Parts: sequence; C-alpha cells; structure tokens
Amino acid sequence: MLKMESIHKRFNGAEVLKNVDLKVKKGEAVALIGPSGSGKTTLIRVINGFVLPDNGRVVVRGKEIDYRKKDELRQMRKRIGMIYQLFNLVDRTSAIDNVVSGALGRMDRGFELISSTIGLFSTEVRERAMELLNFVGIEDKAFERVDRLSGGQKQRVAIARALMQEPEILLADEPIANLDPRTSQKIMELLTKINRERGITIITVLHHLESVRDHFHRVVALKDGEICFDGRTDCLTREHISSIYEFAGEYECAAA
Amino acid sequence: MRSSVSLSHYKRVMGQGTKVRRFLLWFLLIIILALSFKASQIDIRTFIDGMPHALSLIKEMFPPDFARWKRIITLTAETISVGFWGTLLGILVSVPLGIFSAKNTSPNAVIYNTSKELVNLLRAVPDIIYALIFVTAIGIGPVAGVIALMLATVGLLGKFYAEAVETIDPKPVEAIEAAGSHKLSVIRHAVVPQVFPLFMGYNLYALDHNIRAAMALGLVGAGGLGIELFTQMRSFNYQKVSAILIVMLIIIIAIDRVSAYLRKGIIEGTLFSANKFRDYVLMAIVAAMAFISIYFIPVDLKEIVYGLPRIWEFLSNMFPPERSDIPRYIWLMLETIAIGICGTFFAIVISIPLGMLAARNVTHSPVISNAAREIANFLRGIPDLVFALVFVAAVGLGPFAGVLALALHTAGFLGKFYAEAIENIDPKPVEAVEATGARFLQKIIHAVFPQALPLFNSYNLYILDRNIRASTVLGVVGAGGIGFELIMSMRIFEHQRTATLIIIILITITAVDRISAYLRKKVV
Ligand SMILES: Nc1ncnc2c1ncn2[C@@H]1O[C@H](COP(=O)(O)OP(=O)(O)OP(=O)(O)O)[C@@H](O)[C@H]1O
Ligand SMILES: [Mg+2]
Repeated sequence: MLKMESIHKRFNGAEVLKNVDLKVKKGEAVALIGPSGSGKTTLIRVINGFVLPDNGRVVVRGKEIDYRKKDELRQMRKRIGMIYQLFNLVDRTSAIDNVVSGALGRMDRGFELISSTIGLFSTEVRERAMELLNFVGIEDKAFERVDRLSGGQKQRVAIARALMQEPEILLADEPIANLDPRTSQKIMELLTKINRERGITIITVLHHLESVRDHFHRVVALKDGEICFDGRTDCLTREHISSIYEFAGEYECAAA
Repeated sequence: MRSSVSLSHYKRVMGQGTKVRRFLLWFLLIIILALSFKASQIDIRTFIDGMPHALSLIKEMFPPDFARWKRIITLTAETISVGFWGTLLGILVSVPLGIFSAKNTSPNAVIYNTSKELVNLLRAVPDIIYALIFVTAIGIGPVAGVIALMLATVGLLGKFYAEAVETIDPKPVEAIEAAGSHKLSVIRHAVVPQVFPLFMGYNLYALDHNIRAAMALGLVGAGGLGIELFTQMRSFNYQKVSAILIVMLIIIIAIDRVSAYLRKGIIEGTLFSANKFRDYVLMAIVAAMAFISIYFIPVDLKEIVYGLPRIWEFLSNMFPPERSDIPRYIWLMLETIAIGICGTFFAIVISIPLGMLAARNVTHSPVISNAAREIANFLRGIPDLVFALVFVAAVGLGPFAGVLALALHTAGFLGKFYAEAIENIDPKPVEAVEATGARFLQKIIHAVFPQALPLFNSYNLYILDRNIRASTVLGVVGAGGIGFELIMSMRIFEHQRTATLIIIILITITAVDRISAYLRKKVV
C-alpha cells in the first residue's frame, strides 16, 4: 500500500530524516512514536506531500509519487486522509460544511468542480456527510458552528471530514494530544473501528504509550530521524522504550 | 433508512432560520444594488461605446508636455505647503480639543460633550466642502485650502487623540495626582509621555493624508496642483494634463515610501520613543519644512483678518436656509448615495482578485504579490476627485464617471485590507482542506474565505461609508450627485440654497456613519 525508501530530509542543514525505510501493508494500523523533534511530523508530511523529501522514493499503491507534478500529488492526496492535533477545522462554518469539504478533492471534474467550488453539493454528498457524522457520533451537532464544539467533538468532525474523502490511508498526527484521557480513549476506539470495519490503513503519531499498546499491533519508533524500532507492539520492551526516549541516560544523570 | 432520516433532518434544519435569513439578505442587497445601478446610470453600452474615446484620450496624453515646469514646481511646493500648514494648525487645535473630549482628562461633562460633538461635526464635513466654503468666503487661493485641511484634520485627530488618551494606563496619573499636582502638570507629566508616540503616529498619518488631499483641493480653487490640472483639463491640453499627473504620481510614491519608513521607525520604537537626539533631528526637519511652507504660502495675517468678517458675512447670508427645493435635493441625495453604493460594489469586485494576488500566502510569489501591492498603493494614492476629473473627460459628465473614480480609488484600500486579512488567517485549516486533494479555488473558497469574510464585510462597510461621503462632492468636477448643485449654488451666490444642501449632506453622512458603525459591530 505504502512504501518509503531511503527518505532523506534536511531543514536548514539539519538532517531531520536520515535514510528512512518504511513499508505499510493494506489494512495495517501503525503507531509512530519517538521523542520530540525526532521527525515524526516531518515523516507524516512527506507521505502526503506537504514536505518534499530531498532523496528517496515514496510509492503509494504501486505508483511512485512525482512531487513536482501537482496533479499527481493531488490525485494521491485524494486517497489519503489526514487528521491533526489541533483539528484544523474551518471555524465559523458548521460541522457539516467542514465534513462536506472532504469531498472537494473527489469533485474535481466538470460540473461537479464548478458546483463544489461555489459551495453547492449534491444531496448524495450531503447525505453521506450526515451518515459520517452519525458514524462518528455527533449527528446532532451537524449544524453547529465548529468553533462552539468541544475538543473531542471537533476531532470527530475532522475524522468525518477525512472519511468523506473515502481514503485508503488515514494519517493522524497526535490526534489525542489536546484531549482529556476519557475523550482520548473514545477517539482511539473510533480510529480502531475505522481500521477494522472499513479496512482503512492507519498511521498515527502518538505519545501516549498505553494507547499504543491498546490499539496497535505494529509500532515504528523514530529517533534522531532514523527508525530504531519497527515491529509488533508486544515485542516493544521496556528497554526499547528507555533507549528510544533515552530514559536511561536521564536516570544516570539523576543518579550522578 | 437512516440516511432518509438524516436528510429530512438536514432539510428541516437548513430550511429554517439561517438559510431563510441569508436568502432575504441577499435578495435585499440585490434590489438595492439594482436600484443604485439604475440611479447611477450605469450602462455597459455607454461604457463599451466610450472605450474608443477613452483610448484616444490616453493617446492624446502622450508625450507629456512639461513646458510649464516652473509653474508645476511652484504648485507642487504649494501643494506640500497647504498640506503641511493644514496639518500643523490642525494639530495645534486638536491637542486641547482631544484632551477635552477624552473622558479621563476632560475638566467637566459640559466641556466633554461640547468638544466631542464639535469634533464629530467637523469630521462629518468632507474637506472639499470646507474648501468650497472658504474659497467662496475669502477668495481663491491656498489660504482657503489651509483652513479647509485644518478643520478636516481636527475632525480626524481630535477623535484619534481622545481615543488614545482614554486608553492610557491610569496608574501613573493617579500617582502624580496623589502628589497634589495641578491638573495641567498631571497632563504634562503623566498623560503626555504615554500618548506621545501614538499622537506622533497619527500626526504623520494626517500629514500623509493631507498632502494627498491638497492635490485635489485645487480643483475647487483652494491652492496647489489641482488648479493647474483643472485648467489644463478644461482647455483639453491633455499632454499638459499627463505631465501634472506624472508629477502627482511621483509625489504620491515619495510620500508612500517616506511614511512607510517613518511608521516602521515608530513600530520598532526607534522614533519618538523618549526625548532623544533623533527626535530633535526630526523636529529640525519639521521646522525646515515649516520655513519652506511659510515661503510658499506667506501666511498673510491681513488676509485672514480681512477674511474673518467675510466668513461671518457668508455664514449669516446662509440663513434662513432655502426650503422650496428640498424634495428635489433629497432625490439628488439618493442618486448620490447610489453612486457611493455602486462605487463600493465595483471596488469590491476589483479588490477580491487584487487582494488575493497581493496576499503572500496565496500567491507564494513575491513578484506577483509585490506588483499587486504596488497597484493598490497607486490606486489608493490618487485622490478620487482626480480620478473623477479624468473619467469625466473619458466617459463624459455624469454619475458613471464618479462610480468609476470611487471604484478605482477605494479598490486601492480594499485590495490592501483584503490582502492583510487573508495573510492573517489561520493556515492550518487551509492545509487540511488542501490535504483532501482540493484544487486551488476550492481551497480558497472553502478554507480561506470563511475565515476572512467577517473582516472583509467590516472593511466593505467602512468603505461604503467613506464612498457615500465622498460621492457628495464628486459633482464638483461633474461626476454626478448633489455636489454639482452645491458648487453651482456657491458660484451664483445663492447662499441659502448652499445652506440647505450642506444640511442635507451632513444629515446623510452622519446617518450613514452611525448605520455603518452599528453594522460593523454586528459582522465581526
Ligand atoms: N518547516 C520546517 N523548517 C525548518 N525546520 C523544521 C521544519 N519542520 C520541522 N523542522 C525541524 O525538524 C525537526 C523535526 O521536527 P518534527 O516536527 O518532524 O518532529 P516531531 O517528531 O514531530 O516532534 P514533536 O513530537 O515535538 O511533534 C525539528 O528539529 C524541527 O525544528
Ligand atoms: Mg510533531
């Protein structure tokens, strides 16, 4: 489904990603962990083309992405949904308007392009948005302005927007970092459900290791721009975690 | 089954409230716009038929003829002097008036209310109307322009000053008051240091604005380059016209650069930060400018002293205002408002693409955004009356020329405002929509516009207010509206008619100002 080969990325001379190789199969759920600044966000953004890698290949569904070709990039983005830590909804518009905007990428030809651009969506599209809001559990807030929703509700709207794309891959960058534990748990359950029931491949950046254990069978850990662990969650030992987050080093310092 | 339930829910909710209200609002807007179009005699046919004529006019402008360069230089200096003197005298009057009309420094409620209302009244009258009045009362020449700009400046600065004083930190004031100091010394030691940088910023803004305005004052005989422009335009010497326009353009660009530079100094705190050496240097420059200004407009005390009784005579001749033609004047006023509305409409139409091109986060190309910014600066820099004069020559006398003039001049403002509003939006939702694979325009309309729209609307209302005020004087150069009636009544010394017209204009401007302020509060 997704293959990344020897990805390199520098920002102002600093190597943020060094030789990253990653293969993700269809229907997998992958948690991406690693200390702050290790390059997780950068890696995620390489996948949907908001960061251009300096080196390496990204292959989505057997097709290598040519980042210079705008339309190819766009076609690829249509297949990849993304949810964010800060939800990134368009404030001042309603939940359903936000969800419907997930369909914009699909409506990129002819009459559909014109009508969707000016904000006219067919009954099917609106019905579908309603169904998705129902699926994520906030159908009753459909016509509420999103800036009046709670964090958890906003993230549900954002998930519905991503699902509106009918994506094959769903990327998430710390989707629960701004939510309370109970809400976090529910959002993670929702993501797992999406992965299991709809067979959507999911790659999530997470800091909450308990959630990783509860919801993912595969973990990829980044450290200083390199993958230092890639395997089943139950193989991730305390020692691994200590070395990823350098707890050991800190303990030593504390002892000294 | 579930989907049909959802859909009926969707329809039920969207069928009520917001959607109906929005529909009614649009309906109302379209009707107002259609009526305004009709009243301003906007006609695509006239426009297309006029195109060849306008093109040949532009052709006739080349090559520019600088034969009267000496006169142009003198008048340029005079323009700057009028702007400078108007600003300086305005500042002198505004300082006490501003302090009196600020709640926290005004001696008592009577003085507070009187000075506040005086400032409001002064602000309501367009500077061209002041110029017309003083040209009629004391004769053609720069002195009328200076007085006109002075009064307009007091209307502007008096309000700005008062607002600045009202937002000061009360703690230092209390401290000095507690020491038992006299009121004046409190103001000197606790108020002035706090508001000084703000005041200076406003003063610079006023100077910038007044020098531009002084270019148009000559159109009614109140000194400066405008007189020459008007004369050459009326005698169809288009090559000389273009020479003057070029000089005006150079002045505008120079002012723009200098004031941008000085504003930067204020923002970075390198100017007017405290009583520093740099400020004395600036004062020296100002003094030099004052000296030059005295040289070009020798402030003739005699002239002002002789002028005063004439102003009094003029004012007393205005009473009682002539009442017979009021219904006709009200119709004319409606036509004038229509010009303002149409001008704003076209300004918006021009500014949406202009503002988007100028916004750095939309184009991602410094060349395009800088070019768009320069176009906006240029449009903003040329006074609307100068545009109007040119358009009258191009498309003929009448409201249409006025509409075009307002549209172009204020597209300069709106283009800049829109660009700033777009640059200040949150980029995160825009990226999220782009990540769904949306195309450029889809992204703009679904993620950028919803964020910027409230600000856009607020700016639009502000410009509408400004344009309706400006449309009252367009008639002075034959570009439609009530201004023509005003200037004619003055030419033939029907002062009582003049009074009626001014009263109608003032009522309209004040009402529009209130409505626009109310609506602006609602949209943001
Ligand atoms: N657009 C950019 N320009 C310059 N440097 C950048 C840019 N984006 C990221 N970086 C740098 O790259 C490094 C990795 O950043 P990245 O956001 O990928 O880390 P992260 O693993 O997501 O961290 P966190 O857990 O804090 O979100 C950081 O040092 C960051 O400063
Ligand atoms: Mg990150």
